[in-house]
Amino acid sequence: MERFYLWPEQPGASLFALWFFSQLIFWAGRVPMHRAFRSMGRVLFGGLRMAARWLKSISVSIAQRDREMVMEMARGDAEGKIAREFRRIENSFAKELNRYPKLHRKIDDLTSRLDSDYGECGSAPPAPPGWAEATAAVAKMPENGDGMVKKVLEEIHKSAQAGEKKALQEYRESTAKRHKILNGMASMWREVKALAGEAGKSVAAALDSTKRIDSYMATYEQTRKGDHKAVRAMGWQSTQLFVVSLIVLGVAIGGAFVNFNLIALPMSELVPSGSRIGGIPVSTVAAMVIVLMEIAAGIFLMEMLGITSFFPKMELLPLSRRRIILFVSLGGLLLLACIESSLAILREQIVESSSALKHSLAGISEKSVADPVFSRIPVVGQAVLGFILPWILAMVAVPLETLISTGGHIVLTVTAGTLAVLSIVMRVLAHGGRYLVEAVRHVYDIYIILPLQLERLATGGRGATPLREPANQQARR
Amino acid sequence: MKKLILAVAVAALSSCSSGRNYALAIVALVDVSGTYLDQKEEVINLIKKGIVPKLNPGDSLFVIRIDDESYKKSNLEGSMTLDVRPSKANAQKMAFAAKLDEFAKKRERARHTDIRGAMMLGAEYLKETGAGSRTMVVFSDLEEDLPKGVKRTLAPDEFAGMRVFAMNVKKLNADNANPTAYRARLASWQQQATSHGAKEFKVVIDPEKLDELLDH
Repeated sequence: MERFYLWPEQPGASLFALWFFSQLIFWAGRVPMHRAFRSMGRVLFGGLRMAARWLKSISVSIAQRDREMVMEMARGDAEGKIAREFRRIENSFAKELNRYPKLHRKIDDLTSRLDSDYGECGSAPPAPPGWAEATAAVAKMPENGDGMVKKVLEEIHKSAQAGEKKALQEYRESTAKRHKILNGMASMWREVKALAGEAGKSVAAALDSTKRIDSYMATYEQTRKGDHKAVRAMGWQSTQLFVVSLIVLGVAIGGAFVNFNLIALPMSELVPSGSRIGGIPVSTVAAMVIVLMEIAAGIFLMEMLGITSFFPKMELLPLSRRRIILFVSLGGLLLLACIESSLAILREQIVESSSALKHSLAGISEKSVADPVFSRIPVVGQAVLGFILPWILAMVAVPLETLISTGGHIVLTVTAGTLAVLSIVMRVLAHGGRYLVEAVRHVYDIYIILPLQLERLATGGRGATPLREPANQQARR
Repeated sequence: MKKLILAVAVAALSSCSSGRNYALAIVALVDVSGTYLDQKEEVINLIKKGIVPKLNPGDSLFVIRIDDESYKKSNLEGSMTLDVRPSKANAQKMAFAAKLDEFAKKRERARHTDIRGAMMLGAEYLKETGAGSRTMVVFSDLEEDLPKGVKRTLAPDEFAGMRVFAMNVKKLNADNANPTAYRARLASWQQQATSHGAKEFKVVIDPEKLDELLDH
């Protein structure tokens, strides 16, 4: 500051002189300075507004692209579900219709048998017409004391009683026979009922499928129309799937890490452990490659089982070739699992050997701290772990596919959101900058308030009028 | 064109597989002169406990005796380059430990102390290994006493790329009387080592420290 003093020995006078000249210069340059401030404010405001608009437009276009992607995903998903239901119905119908002639024949047989049995139930032997009335009339005849007549009447009475007894016996036999037939019909009724129930179940399943298809079709229609709710629901579903896949994949990475550690040490027995690739021991690289190979085999296995669809070309392969790839990947996975299992055993041996060596070098006599039977537990555990982990790692293909398919939506959503926030920040900065420049302009005027007031007095109260912006510029804001 | 592709492929492979560059080679120089003989057993134990377990497959270890004239092949008490297979390497370590025990039992006593001769011999072995990391550990009181007629002139790059550690440096009676002399002796060795190409010279007092130093 002292450099600017006109008279270094008189700082007060120097400062006053500096202030005076600055007042003079600032007052004289007020108009161009105000213009400069205004231009600066306009540039700042306009530039930031433009950047905000640009960010907003990009955000909107990304959001639109995301929406289109989600709609496409939803369409694909709905189509897949509908196709699956149709396939189910087709299979079900093919199966049921195949069974239908047999079922129909069976029901026909049963109903005809039931009909004949029913008819048989109805045919009972007719009672002798008028016999009872004739017997009753004879029985009511008065006794005239004739022994012959009496004997005849008694004989008639006896034969009437015998006839009645016989008729009763026949009636009972006939009833028993009908009951027997009816009893036989009960099982047939049950069979008919079961068949009807079975048919009913098939019909209910078909109805369920049609209901599901209806709901899928409704979703499909909504998605096709670009219904906001449907798209939002699909977006939310994608986010959920992404998060779940991420968690599962995180767990799988943990598994891969355990797997890697299990085989890294014994791999040094198989590959030259002294050599390195990019600073990493070859044995470590080999262990990593094995883990990655397991994942690759798992991906192919899942692909061939139709669980995932990473490679659309593979879906076009004939079934025989698909089967070959399936068996090759399955065999590879089994082989790798066996290798890992054996490596896990080898690992334990190396660890034991190293431990024994360390004890020996340190001059400590090694004592067995665990019973030999129980000391086998870690070996068995490691072997089992080595065998199971590759199969678990093979499952990574499923969350990986979900993560990739839903990752696009997440990336676009996050990008669009970030850009929208940035756009808002830019807008706020634009307005803030504009008012800041305006404030600086006012501070400028406050600094030269004295010459301004003097000018005002000199010009008879009109003073220095603040500069107005042109009307068209104000309107543009 | 084919030759160019082949050359590029060979260059890529050789750059990827850096072979022995990452291997570690250690030379342990053990003083058997009269003033240090009482430390021999402890030194062997230090080598067994501190250096041998640190070695990985592909690493090398040489043990050289410091006596009257140490620049002799017969001063090499034992050497090993570990096999790439850990199981074999462990067996080699065991055999080497047995060899060290035999060396510890020997009751030989040198009248003079030719430290530089042993260092020169050790440096030659280290250079021959071509290992990426080369370390020389000197177990001595660092009081050199060359016999008459023995000359030891170190080459300017004698210890090029090597780290030199002086471990278990015994303080002599004179050192107790005048520690400055002891410190001056250490400083002189440091100056000698670094001026002849050594990456560093360090006096290790705590045996546990050797572990950390070998890890670096």
